[in-house]
Amino acid sequence: MTAIRPETLVWLLLVALTLLTWGVGQEGLNGPAVSLGLLGVALFKGHLVGDWFMGLRRVRGPWRWVIALWLLLPGGLIALAFLLAAR
Amino acid sequence: MHAVAEAMTGRPDSFPLPERRAQGSAAGAAQERVAWPPGDLAIWIFILAELAVFAIFFAAYAFARMGELELFVTYQQTLDTNLALINTLALITSSYFVVRAVGRIRADDAGGCIRWLAGALLLGGVFLGVKSLEYAHLFGEGVSLSTNTFYTFYLSLTFFHFMHVVMGMVILAAVAVKAAQGHYSREVHTGVETGASYWHMVDLVWLILFPLVYVM
Repeated sequence: MTAIRPETLVWLLLVALTLLTWGVGQEGLNGPAVSLGLLGVALFKGHLVGDWFMGLRRVRGPWRWVIALWLLLPGGLIALAFLLAAR
Repeated sequence: MHAVAEAMTGRPDSFPLPERRAQGSAAGAAQERVAWPPGDLAIWIFILAELAVFAIFFAAYAFARMGELELFVTYQQTLDTNLALINTLALITSSYFVVRAVGRIRADDAGGCIRWLAGALLLGGVFLGVKSLEYAHLFGEGVSLSTNTFYTFYLSLTFFHFMHVVMGMVILAAVAVKAAQGHYSREVHTGVETGASYWHMVDLVWLILFPLVYVM
């Protein structure tokens, strides 16, 4: 039996998380906790793309973390703005 | 060009082959990590510049929403999340196809590489078609950049990304043509990795854009 490639599993996980995000939107769920949860899911998806699709998991040194660090920049600012908007 | 890039950066012309890495032990695999990301270093500098612009765009959207929360929530509901879902799945899958294309050229299978790239290009076309439908619907409703702050951000942000998809497809098509001409092999395939890295960046940006603009 042929083993499933890790990249294929990552793709399936990305699809599942996308459907989850879409489903939350369809249910009309909202509020800061939901928004931050969806943001967390999006950042995790981005990290998967950086690690597994862009191949950064096989890189050492500063380039290993370049996408993860980028995700934290807009992610942190978006989270801050959404939390301030909810006050 | 690859030889020049190698001379300038002091790094090997191509990313180490996954097959070779897979044969080693776990400790050996850790040792085989490389210092540079796949593809030309220049594309990574370009990618970082692009990502910085998108980060500013995303933050600007979020803080503008903070100032006009009710307007953003109201008009966000006019967007078609089903079309956005189709587009997200199209980009994720096209990115996966590009991963497979890189895998095929690393295995010295140019034909397989071209077929996976063709699939990725097809899905890129789906993205552009669906997005065009979305724009046509909104423009038909009389929406424009000056309708309100939400649509200013929605149209400019998504169209900026749209143009990156177009650019990515041009790059992938050029890579496919060069692969068909026999320019890439198991030993020399930096060009394929370079195009792949750009395409993954386009996918990465959309993965943040989709929930931010359509759902959150």
